Amino acid sequence: MTVLEPAGAPRLQRPTPKLVAIGVIGGLLSGLLGVGGGTIMVPLLVFWAGFAQRDAHATSLGAIIPISVVSATTLATGAHIDARAAILLSIGAIAGARVGAGALARADDRKLQWLFSTFLLAAAVLMLVQR
Amino acid sequence: MSAIAVGAGILAFGLCTGMLSGVLGIGGGTFMVPFMVLALGIGQHAAEATSLLVVLPTSVVATVVLARRGAVDVGRALSLGLLGAAGGVGGALLALALPADTLRRLFAVFMLVVSGRMLLRLWRTRAEATP
Repeated sequence: MTVLEPAGAPRLQRPTPKLVAIGVIGGLLSGLLGVGGGTIMVPLLVFWAGFAQRDAHATSLGAIIPISVVSATTLATGAHIDARAAILLSIGAIAGARVGAGALARADDRKLQWLFSTFLLAAAVLMLVQR
Repeated sequence: MSAIAVGAGILAFGLCTGMLSGVLGIGGGTFMVPFMVLALGIGQHAAEATSLLVVLPTSVVATVVLARRGAVDVGRALSLGLLGAAGGVGGALLALALPADTLRRLFAVFMLVVSGRMLLRLWRTRAEATP
């Protein structure tokens, strides 16, 4: 892996106030509730910031990079890491992510909405029944 | 079950998680943490830490794929994520002081309502959307 973007390194932009709010609220809620950032950021980006469904999914994936770096370093200090699961899941997930992101780049917004709302429903039920 | 079969199962689960993550714009912890806890018998804390280590390469690969296709504004996504990371630290600290379980249930109900409305709207407009 060389660079993030073929056209040179991405420059951090100064985000709009709404995007600032979504970043902070999304992070706050996910830290508070233990839900992944994307589950919260995608609906906020769509319903509040007016992103198209596909742009929201793509933006959320990029946003997860710094979030997971920070939370992995805070959570992983002292925590036991299951090396076998981490390695095997990563190999599978990297291969899967290429396929998934490729599909996302072509996908139609309505299909994405069906998929995402079904996922959100399942995630909500999972949250209600666990513990 | 032999170790090889278990390993293949973990790999396959990683593949599915990666594909869904790439399409849905999420990290995949929502799928991986319950899988590791329930199927592999890994403790909750270790499962969360391990999942974060997998989320990082998954989101990097997905973002690279999307950036190559010009489907994501990487700078905007990363700045959103940096804000999210800051919010996440705040949320994790607040979780110690607030009744996080009650908040999680409330938020799950909110997710249920959002997904229900999305699904209902998609179902009602299915006729005019069919190409």
